Amino acid sequence: MVSDHCVRLNPSRIAENYQTIGFEYSQKNMLPMRPHIAPLKIEKGNSNFHPRRYYSSTTPQELTPPMTPFNTTGDYNMERTETPRAVFHNYLRAFYPFQPTGNMSPSTVTLPLDQGDIILVHSVHTNGWADGTLLDTGARGWLPTNYCEAYDELPMRPLLKALTDFWDIIQGGCGFPLREFCNQDNVKGLIAGVRFLLEKSECLTRDSVLVRRHDTLRRNRKALLADLSSLVRTTKKCQDMTPNQSVEDEVYMMDEMLLKAFRIVTRGVGFLDVWNEGVGLSRMIAELEQQSGQYDVPPTPASDTFDMGSEADTERNPSRLMNRSRLDMSRASTRTDMIDSQPPQPVSVSTKRVSHRVSYSAPPAACRNPNLASERLNATYDAFLGVLGSFIGLHLQSRPSTELVTTTEQAVRSCRGLLTTVEAVCEHDPQGSGPLEQARDVMYEQLSELVHAARDAFRPANSTEDELIFMPDEGKRLVDAATDCVRAAGKCLAKARCVLEQSGDFELDMELPQEIAERPDVNSTPVPNHISDSAEDQNQAQDISIRLPPPPLQIPNVSQHQYPPSTPVTPGLTDDTTPSSLNSRTELANSAVTPNTDSFLPPNSGLPTSVDKLSFASSPHDVHTGEATHRTSHTKSEAGESFGRGVISTGSSFTYSNLRDSEMSGVSQTSTRATSPDIGNHYQLPSLKGSVSHSTLAEENEETEANILEKTFAHELVFKDGQIMGGSLRALVEKLTAHQSTPDAMFVSTFYLTFRLFATPMDFAEALVDRFNYIGDTPHAAGPVRLRVYNVFKGWLESHWRHDCDNQSLEFILNFANTALMYHLPTAGKRMVELAEKVSMVHGPVVPRLVSSMGKTNTATALYVHPDTPLPPPILAKKETNLLKNWKNGDASITILDFDPMELARQFTIKESRIFCAILPEELLATEWMKKTGSLAVNVRAMSTLSTDLAHLVADSILQLEEPKKRAAIIKHWVKIANKCLELNNYDSLMAIICSLNSSMISRLKRTWEVVSQKTKATLEYLREIVDVSRNYAVLRQRLQNHVPPCLPFVGTYLTDLTFVDHGNPPLRSLPTEEGDMAVINLDKHMKTAKIISELQRFQIPYRLTEVPELQTWMQNELVRVRSNGEKSLQTFYRRSLVLEPREAPRPSLQTETSSSSSILENAKDKFDFLSWTHPSKAKSVATNG
Amino acid sequence: MRPQREYHIVVLGAAQFVQNVWIESYDPTIEDSYRKQIEVDGRQCILEILDTAGTEQFTAMRELYMKQGQGFLLVFSITSMSSLNELSELREQIIRIKDDENVPIVIVGNKSDLEEDRAVPRARAFALSQSWGNAPYYETSARRRANVNEVFIDLCRQIIRKDLQGNSKAPEAPARKWESQPRLDRKKDKRRQTKRKGPCVIL
Repeated sequence: MVSDHCVRLNPSRIAENYQTIGFEYSQKNMLPMRPHIAPLKIEKGNSNFHPRRYYSSTTPQELTPPMTPFNTTGDYNMERTETPRAVFHNYLRAFYPFQPTGNMSPSTVTLPLDQGDIILVHSVHTNGWADGTLLDTGARGWLPTNYCEAYDELPMRPLLKALTDFWDIIQGGCGFPLREFCNQDNVKGLIAGVRFLLEKSECLTRDSVLVRRHDTLRRNRKALLADLSSLVRTTKKCQDMTPNQSVEDEVYMMDEMLLKAFRIVTRGVGFLDVWNEGVGLSRMIAELEQQSGQYDVPPTPASDTFDMGSEADTERNPSRLMNRSRLDMSRASTRTDMIDSQPPQPVSVSTKRVSHRVSYSAPPAACRNPNLASERLNATYDAFLGVLGSFIGLHLQSRPSTELVTTTEQAVRSCRGLLTTVEAVCEHDPQGSGPLEQARDVMYEQLSELVHAARDAFRPANSTEDELIFMPDEGKRLVDAATDCVRAAGKCLAKARCVLEQSGDFELDMELPQEIAERPDVNSTPVPNHISDSAEDQNQAQDISIRLPPPPLQIPNVSQHQYPPSTPVTPGLTDDTTPSSLNSRTELANSAVTPNTDSFLPPNSGLPTSVDKLSFASSPHDVHTGEATHRTSHTKSEAGESFGRGVISTGSSFTYSNLRDSEMSGVSQTSTRATSPDIGNHYQLPSLKGSVSHSTLAEENEETEANILEKTFAHELVFKDGQIMGGSLRALVEKLTAHQSTPDAMFVSTFYLTFRLFATPMDFAEALVDRFNYIGDTPHAAGPVRLRVYNVFKGWLESHWRHDCDNQSLEFILNFANTALMYHLPTAGKRMVELAEKVSMVHGPVVPRLVSSMGKTNTATALYVHPDTPLPPPILAKKETNLLKNWKNGDASITILDFDPMELARQFTIKESRIFCAILPEELLATEWMKKTGSLAVNVRAMSTLSTDLAHLVADSILQLEEPKKRAAIIKHWVKIANKCLELNNYDSLMAIICSLNSSMISRLKRTWEVVSQKTKATLEYLREIVDVSRNYAVLRQRLQNHVPPCLPFVGTYLTDLTFVDHGNPPLRSLPTEEGDMAVINLDKHMKTAKIISELQRFQIPYRLTEVPELQTWMQNELVRVRSNGEKSLQTFYRRSLVLEPREAPRPSLQTETSSSSSILENAKDKFDFLSWTHPSKAKSVATNG
Repeated sequence: MRPQREYHIVVLGAAQFVQNVWIESYDPTIEDSYRKQIEVDGRQCILEILDTAGTEQFTAMRELYMKQGQGFLLVFSITSMSSLNELSELREQIIRIKDDENVPIVIVGNKSDLEEDRAVPRARAFALSQSWGNAPYYETSARRRANVNEVFIDLCRQIIRKDLQGNSKAPEAPARKWESQPRLDRKKDKRRQTKRKGPCVIL
């Protein structure tokens, strides 16, 4: 339900229905248009907004979003019917600038929007305000969703998703998850995203046709890759960071990386915009032209919007309509409507940055003063760049174009505006502005060169635009001139800012560029307080459909007035600040009338000339005087910026991010953006855009490009807390053979051990071979990765081969070794062939698993015993040896009492250790040992059998004796044996013995225990505590944790843990992708399994003890004897226990109880053949137990 | 304030009743993996749960487990009749070891999410429950965490009641009286049980 609001779709529909909307607007108008200027009801908790940690520390959830930004419910309803199923979109894009108005309470955390801004949405309030982060700045706050539309371009999806993941890691992680950030795989998601984008746009390699043909595309692409590599570098740097780095550093690192990731996405969006416009649109137009063949209008969307804006332009109405329909089409398909927004980011960044410096020094109201020199400077500069960007862009499309004429004019105008401001700055501070004047002079020169170039490029024509002829030869000169202009302007601006910084900002006494306000669509800016009547509402509605408010100059006008377009330099130049104002036809007429062809640069004064005034005078600027100050202030900047952006995207953002030298990003800049100090806070962040130019310039290297574009499936991995939780097989195999780092030993072990649970051996082999092949696309990584693939195969064949199931893939592997591997790595190929052949002949593992299998590295902790150290001699006197001999001959019977407890403990340990060491890891997978039939877990089964047998042997040896004293002696002996087992770290036997001594059939032998010595009882108690089951064997686990082998742990705890992991975790986990959820391998489950198994394997080291075969034989014999009782043995023992020491007088009450109820008791009676076995003292102990 | 009560519960029978919240990340060494705090009739109780899953073949170990417990969950899988049949033997052993016919026991038919594979008719489980003196019977899905808490609460309630009996147990005669009380109670329980079962099956 919430998501309804953030989906503002189908602009084309809106365009078609704008009349309706307009109507609804007017209806709605009866309600006060308070909506989005309503203050946020938030605590002034802005201390939270620590500039460095704003992402995590802000909790906008606690904030009440502003009231509904929707101007009309009708509009909204209409949309709702159009989009029956609303989806929550992670990303929105502003299609209209939004400026939080002054009416907002100072505590409002409402973000200003620029057209084209991309927003990462965290939540959307029902009233339509979204809690989002502006990728441009990293600032977080409330944004009106009705100024935005979902941004979900197909080629961008993986990249966007990667960014969301990236963000989620910070959000999800408490504390400082730097570790996760350093994880290359997080970055890999972004890399994969960029790769996907480039693939989709057919620009994957630098040599692709598109990249070569479209310079803009090439530059954007390069910038994108540069940003990407910058992030990769930062990540690497981060990895090198010492762990004891201060928290602040960590946070800083995180911020930096996140901002870089933001920037990559912003870049990606920009790239896609350029692509859509440069390639996608022209393709579509080609299609359209095939159909209709009547287009005379150049297809740049910028011009589309311009055309659309000029409602009055009746002559061109048909083409305008065509344009609109075309635009709509493009929206429907490639969503080219986005283009109008893009990259002049460096511009706005710089702006924003300083903005709050200004707002700090001045009250919020003041910072919106459009007359501030800094503001003017920015606005004019933005406008100029915008115009020049489109200028260059147009040329790059290499189409003769009336728009080129238009933009040339605009360029000159806006440059003029900039120069005017610069002049003012110079005048303001004559001492400090030496460099600025130089820069200004250079700019003058460049501008005149541009004008000349433009004039030469177009032969003046008399009547219609059709007769304008573009001289292609002149094109290059034109572009060069424009580029120089941009460069000069950049320097000029930098210098001007320097001056301003030194001398302080000041207010220009220039007249406000009121024309902006005259624009018919100004009122339609969806800032509600402008709306006063239905006519304006109409405009507004219309404007929404149009998106770009200001229609530009129309060439036809010029020709109408018989002024050759070769005089693009028209007066009325002060409207530079808002190129959008150029839209006004009247104004154009005015300016066109003014003959000012040559001296378009007033030598001394950038202050408004009479010409300007003239143009003003001709425009109905009295319309809005009431709110002029306020409104113009922000409309101006918005219009200026957005316009600039819109236009520049047709050109190349790179051009001027390139030209704007680093000097600039360091210089303080001013802004029109900040509305309150609170918002200003956000901008204290290291500016995204400011540094863009650095990184963009930094990497030119082709190799880097290939490197960072390595084909990867990393986006198919699932992470949690920096650990891989799951992933597709190919992604996991990629991880297994990563070239940057040695794969984690545990990860490799897990793979070998468990891969058969999630893939067939054939799948695994194929995935490895695929990896071997596709890494060929990334030359620098191919070597190491291929070697790793070989090593994985080698390890598999050598130590982890399971003949029962892996043999099916042997042929495939052999084939691979003989072909691809042999070709690329001949030596490795040869060795692998040998190995594979060996495997096919041998039956066990080629290299004994015991030595090589997982977890064995841990055994380094085992005490080193020199191989020559003699084994401890058996404690076996002649007497015992003879006894055993006699027993063997059937001449004597022996009991455990005949042997030293230590020796017995040793022999039990040897026996058990042998089985334990034979346990294969696969026996422990998927609760194999639990299988009722055909279990492969023979050794695990043998362990449990032995343990049970031993317990039974204990019981049997005690219960076979009639006299309590003798029984007590046996008990004492067993306690001693158990104690020796503990000395030998044989917890398994210890457990069995204690278990048995503790069992009810033994423990109930009251008379026997009476004669057991206190010492023995104390020892028993001590041992009992060690194997205590409470707190999930906490004592035992604790002991085993850092135990040094040799040791025989109790296997049961491992089995329990393995069972829980196996049954408690699903085999697959879902990974949300652009095509819906993808089920990937739940590696976490297997990792956990492997970890437990490796713990167990850690102890699979044989004891250094001397086996006494005779004793072993006797023991085995005894064990088999007790086992022969089968399942009944427990009952037999119990019965014997009852016979030996019958129950004491039963409680009468219980007797009645028994007789009165419980069929079970009847059963029990049958089975155990006794009448009353209740034990009063026992019953009590039960009740109070625990 | 009253000290929190702590009870030992042992889970026996068909394994796979991974009853705790440890499904995402089960670390056997952390306390949360075997301790559970629940509220029973307004009383906070801490349960220490001993789940013997995976060690069924260590038959000699069973006694050790059983001695530990004050209350028992006897778990079978509704998809396996044999798992139900195994319970009787376990109960006999418990009663023998505990020396008490009225040991708190709850019968749990797990894997209720696999209704389509059901091999144990509910009536069959009820019959068993009745033959055990109306031991409460629940159907749960550990996988979906359905009814799991209810099982523990019921068992805990039984233990508490038993505890109170034990404390108030003085002379023989009253004890008998006391003893007849819970049965009725349990029948009520049972009835409540049956009602509750509706949703449990759906889950």
